[in-house]
Amino acid sequence: MALLEISDLHTFYGSIEALRGISLEVEEGEIVALLGSNGAGKTTTLRTISGLERARSGSVKLAGEEITRRRAHDIVSLGLSHVPEGRRIFANLTIEENLGLGAYLYRRHPALIKERRQTVYEIFPRLLERKDQLAGTLSGGEQQMLAIGRAMMVQPKVLALDEPSMGLAPILVRQIFRIIEEIRQRGTAILLVEQNALQALRLADRGYVIETGRIVLHDDAKALAQDPRVRAAYLGGEPEVDTAQGTDTTN
Amino acid sequence: MTSHLSASRPLLLRWGPLLALVIALGFPLGAPNAYWVDVGIGILTFGMLGLGLNLVVGYAGLLDLGYAAFYAIGAYTTAILSTAAHLSFWETLPFAIAFSAIAGVIVGYPTLRLRSDYLAIVTLGFGEIVRITATNLGFTGGPNGIYGIPPASIFGYQFVTENSQYYLALAFLLVVLFFTRHLARSRLGRAWLSLREDESASEAVGVPSVRVKLWAYVFGAIFGGFAGAFFAARLSAISPDSFTYTQSVNILIVVVLGGMASFPGVLLGAGVVVGLPEILRFISNWRLFVFALGLIALMLLRPQGLWPAASRAHDPFRNLGPPGDDEDGLARTRAPADPNAPALEVEGLRRRFGGVLAVDDVSFRVDRGQIVSIIGPNGAGKTTVFNCITGVTRPDAGKVELGGRSVRGMQPHDIVGAGLARTFQGIRLFKALPAFENVLVGMYTRQRAGILGSLLHTRSERREERESLRRTRAWLSFVGLEEIAGVKASELAYGDQRRLEIARALASEPDVLLLDEPAAGMNPSEKRDLMGLVRRIRGLGVTVVLIDHDMNLVMGVSDRVVVIDRGRKIAEGTPEEIQHNQQVVDAYLGSDGGDVDDEAVNTWPS
Amino acid sequence: MQYLINGLTIGSFYALVALGYTMIYGIIRLINFAHGDLFMVGAFMGWTVLGVFSATHAPVAVVLMISLLVAMAVVGLLAVGMDRIAYQPLLRASRLSILITALGVSLALENGALILFGAGFDTYPTNLLPTTTFLLGGATVSWVQVGMFTLSLLLMLLLYLFVQHTAVGTAMRALSFDQDAARLMGVNVEGVIMITFLLGGVLAAASGVMMGLYYTQINFLMGFLMGLRAFTAAVLGGIGNIPGAMVGGLLIGVLQSFAAGYISSQWQDVIVFAVLILVLVVKPTGIFGERVVERM
Repeated sequence: MALLEISDLHTFYGSIEALRGISLEVEEGEIVALLGSNGAGKTTTLRTISGLERARSGSVKLAGEEITRRRAHDIVSLGLSHVPEGRRIFANLTIEENLGLGAYLYRRHPALIKERRQTVYEIFPRLLERKDQLAGTLSGGEQQMLAIGRAMMVQPKVLALDEPSMGLAPILVRQIFRIIEEIRQRGTAILLVEQNALQALRLADRGYVIETGRIVLHDDAKALAQDPRVRAAYLGGEPEVDTAQGTDTTN
Repeated sequence: MTSHLSASRPLLLRWGPLLALVIALGFPLGAPNAYWVDVGIGILTFGMLGLGLNLVVGYAGLLDLGYAAFYAIGAYTTAILSTAAHLSFWETLPFAIAFSAIAGVIVGYPTLRLRSDYLAIVTLGFGEIVRITATNLGFTGGPNGIYGIPPASIFGYQFVTENSQYYLALAFLLVVLFFTRHLARSRLGRAWLSLREDESASEAVGVPSVRVKLWAYVFGAIFGGFAGAFFAARLSAISPDSFTYTQSVNILIVVVLGGMASFPGVLLGAGVVVGLPEILRFISNWRLFVFALGLIALMLLRPQGLWPAASRAHDPFRNLGPPGDDEDGLARTRAPADPNAPALEVEGLRRRFGGVLAVDDVSFRVDRGQIVSIIGPNGAGKTTVFNCITGVTRPDAGKVELGGRSVRGMQPHDIVGAGLARTFQGIRLFKALPAFENVLVGMYTRQRAGILGSLLHTRSERREERESLRRTRAWLSFVGLEEIAGVKASELAYGDQRRLEIARALASEPDVLLLDEPAAGMNPSEKRDLMGLVRRIRGLGVTVVLIDHDMNLVMGVSDRVVVIDRGRKIAEGTPEEIQHNQQVVDAYLGSDGGDVDDEAVNTWPS
Repeated sequence: MQYLINGLTIGSFYALVALGYTMIYGIIRLINFAHGDLFMVGAFMGWTVLGVFSATHAPVAVVLMISLLVAMAVVGLLAVGMDRIAYQPLLRASRLSILITALGVSLALENGALILFGAGFDTYPTNLLPTTTFLLGGATVSWVQVGMFTLSLLLMLLLYLFVQHTAVGTAMRALSFDQDAARLMGVNVEGVIMITFLLGGVLAAASGVMMGLYYTQINFLMGFLMGLRAFTAAVLGGIGNIPGAMVGGLLIGVLQSFAAGYISSQWQDVIVFAVLILVLVVKPTGIFGERVVERM
C-alpha cells in the first residue's frame, strides 16, 4: 500500500472538467515529480488532494485512510501539507507567527511548537535572524523558505510542493532543490509540481506527466528524462544554460 | 419593465426590449387604478436612478452609499427655482443637471483616490450632509420641505394626471437609457470596466484613472439630478424625508439585485424594489420584514443578480469583414520624437524605501530596436527599476528618458501615452472582460473620441470604434489569439493569458515594451514560443526590455544584459560576457556543479 | 471638560460597536450593515431581561449582570446565525452581493424588532443605578459613567489580548490575509469567521445594554444611527485595525459631544462626517490604517 494513493480523481471548475481521472501514488520516502504544461491540471491535482477543491469523484487515500471528502484543515492534521503556488506566506504576520500558525494544530502544546520552530530555524538560519520581522519584508527566496518551513512545522508524512522554484534566481533554485532533498532524507515523502522539468526529474525518483487533466505517462525519473515525448514537450530538447547562448533559430 | 421573465433567453433578447416597451406603454391602461399608475411612476423613477448609479457602481466599481444626495440636489434645484424664481420646469432642468454635476465633482475630486470601502463611507457621509443641510436651512424649507412646485408643461398642456405623468416618466427613462447605453459602450465605458477589474493595471495600460472615475461620478450625478428634477415637478412638494440614506440603499439594491452593469437587470431591479413592497402591502406590519427576507433569499439564490450582464458577442468581429492583411498595419507609423536618441535611457536612478536603498545609482541605455534584459537575484531592485521607469514609483533621483524626452515624475498613464508599455510579473488582466476588450482598453491612449462623441455615439466615434476593433483583431492574431477573442480573460489558459497581456500592452503602440518575468511558470516549449514572439515584436520596430530568471530566454534573445544586485548595477554586456563574469556567477547564476557550499542549508538533525 | 467626559463615555459605546465592524471587515472584507442592529437587539434583550427580573427581589448588581450576560449571549448567537445563514454561502460571490445581503439582514432585524416591540420608545428602569457623582476639574462625573467606561475598556483590552496573543487570534489575522493558505495550516476558516461574528455580537450587545441604561430610551431604529457612527469610527481609525476602532470610537464620541455642546446638536453628524472626510482626504487609510502593500 502506497503512502499516498490517488485513483481516478475528477474535479470540476463550474462546468469545466479540470481533472479527468488522475491516478498516482507516492511511496514512503519518495520524491515524485508531477510534470505538465500550464493548465494541464497540476495545481488542481494538489488543491484537490489537500482539500481546497472538492473532487466530483475518485479517491485520495493517505496511509490507507480515505481523505477525499475531508476538509482542508482536517487533511493537514492527518499528515499532508501543501505549499501552494506563489508561496502565500502571511505578509502581515511576523516570521515567528507564520511558523506558529504552521503548527496551528498544536496550539495547545506550546512546548512542542517551540521545539519544532527551533528545528526549522536550524535548517533556515536566515529565518531566525529575522524572526520578528513581518514576512512581507522577506525576499522571494526567503519567502519560499518560510513557506516550506511553515509546512514542515507539523512534520507531515507527505509534503506537496507547487512550483517551489517559480520566480527565483538560478542560485536560489539550486538551494531550494537541495532543501527538498534534505526533507526527503528526514523521512517526508514529496509530491513535487515543477515547470523546471529537467531539475525536477534529476531530483525525483519517479515522475508523472499530466495533460489536459489526465496522466499520460509515468515512469522512473531517469527513464522519463530520456523519453523523447517528454524531451520534446517539457524539456524542449534543450541543453543547459551554459551552452544555450542564442542558438535558438527555430522561429 | 414590469414583465415576468419566464420566456427563453434568446427570444427574449431579440424581442425583449420591444415587448418591454409595449408593456410599459400599455401599463396605465391595464392598471386597476390610479394608485398602481403611481407605483409605475415610482418604478420608472427608480429605473432612471438605477441606470445612473449603475454607471458608478456597476461599471466603474465605485461603491456609492449617498447617491440620493444627487437626486436631492436635482429636486431642490427645480423646486427652488420654480417656486422662488418662477422658472418653468424645462428652464430649471439645465440648472438641476449642472448643480448635480458640480456636486459630483465636489464629492468626487478629493475622494476618488480612496479605496472603494472608504469611498462608501465618504459618500454615505456626503448623502447625510446634504439631507441634514436641507433639513436645517431656511431656503430649503427646513424639515417640511418645499410646497407648490408647478408641474411640467408642454405648449400649455400640464402634466398633472397620473397617466400623463407616467408617460413623461417613461420618456425621461428612455432619454436616460439612450445616453447611459452609449456611454457604457464607448471608450469611456470600457475604461470604467477596466477600473472596476483592476485599477493599477488599468492605469498601467494608459487609462487616466482619476479623471475617468470623476466622469463616472459626474454622469451618475447628472442622471440622479435629472431624475430628481422630474420627481419635484411630479409631486409638487418635496421634503428631506425623500432623500434619506435608506433611499440611497434602495437605489443600490436596484443595481446589485438586478445585476451590475446589466441594463435589463437594473430595470427589473427597479420593478422588484418598488413593486414588491407594494404587492406585500396586505400584510401591513410584516411587509418590510418579508421584503427583507425576500431580498436575502434572492441574493443567496442569485448572487450575480436577477439578470446578470450578458457576456459580449461571441464573434466580436463579425461586422468587420474578412481579416485581409490587417497585420501589415501593425508596424508603427508614428515617427520617434528624436530619431537619434536612445529608445530608453536611465541615468543615476535612485530610490529609497524607508532605510533601504532599493535602487542605488543605476544607469543603462537601450538603443532603438534592441532587446535588453535586466537580471539579478530576488529583491535586487529590478522591479523597482521598472516601477520607476513606468511612473508607478517616483524615483528619488536620476533621469528617465524615453526617446530623448524626460518622463520622470509623469503619471503612469501619461508615460504610456509617451510610448512605453508594460506587462506584469503576476498576470493582471481585466478578468471579467473578454480578450478583445482587454486589448481595446489598451488602445485608450491612442483613441480620440471625446465625452460628447461617446454620449451621442457620433459618426466619428463609430468610425474610430470600428477601426479600433480592426486593430484589435490584428493584435490578437499577432499573438495567436484571434480565435478566442470573445472568451473571458479569466477563462483563458495560462499561456494565453500571458500572450493576451502582451497584446494589450502592444495595443498602445509603444516605442518600448517592458516585460516583467514573461516566462514565469512556462515550460520550455512555451518559452521557445515566447522567444519567437519577442523577436517578432522587435521586428515591428518596438524596443524590448525584459526581466526574467530564465537564462535560456534571457541569454537566447537579448542583445545586451544588465545585472543588478542589491540595488546596484554590477555588470552590463553581451550575454556571453555576462555568463563569464565571475561577479555575476557568484551573486546570481551560481556555479552549476551543485557542489556549492551553502550557508542557508544545513543538514536536518536526525 | 464636561463635554469631554460625556464624549468619552458615549465614545466607548461607539468603540465597542466599531470593533465589530472592523473585525468583520478585516476578516472577510464585508461592511456588515446589520451590525448596528445587533446593538439594537442587545439593548432590547437587556431591557426584556431587566423587565423579567425587576419583579424579583434579587440584588441590583446581580440583575444587571444577568441581563448583560444574557444579552451578550443571545446577540452573539444571533450574529453567528446571521453569518451561517446569510453570509457564509456568499463568501465566494462578489463583494457587493454579500453587501446587499447585509442590508437585507439589517432591514429584517429592524422590522423584526418593530413587530416584536412596536414602533414607540421603550424605557429602561431608572431606579437601578446609583446617581452619585463627583467633581473632576469642574465637570460632574457620575460613578455610572466611570463604571461603564471601565467596563468598555476592559472588554476592549480582553479582545485585543485575544487577537494578538492567542493562536485563534493569530489565525484571524492570517485568514484576513489569505484564506486558502490559512486552511492549509489546519485552520478551520469557517469556524474562525464564526468566532469573529460571535465576538462582534457580544461587544455590540454589551454596548447596547449600557447605552440603554445610560440614555434609558430605546427604539427599533436606534441601530441605524449607532451603526453609522460606529462605522465612521472604524473608518476614521483605519478599518480592519483594532486599536484604530477603539481610538476612532472615542474620538467620534468626543467630537460629537463638543459639536453638540458648542454648535448645535442638529449639526453634530454633519461635523462628524466633515471631519471624517477631511481626515480621509489627508490620510486615505484612516489614522491607523494599514499600509497597502502592493507588488506590481
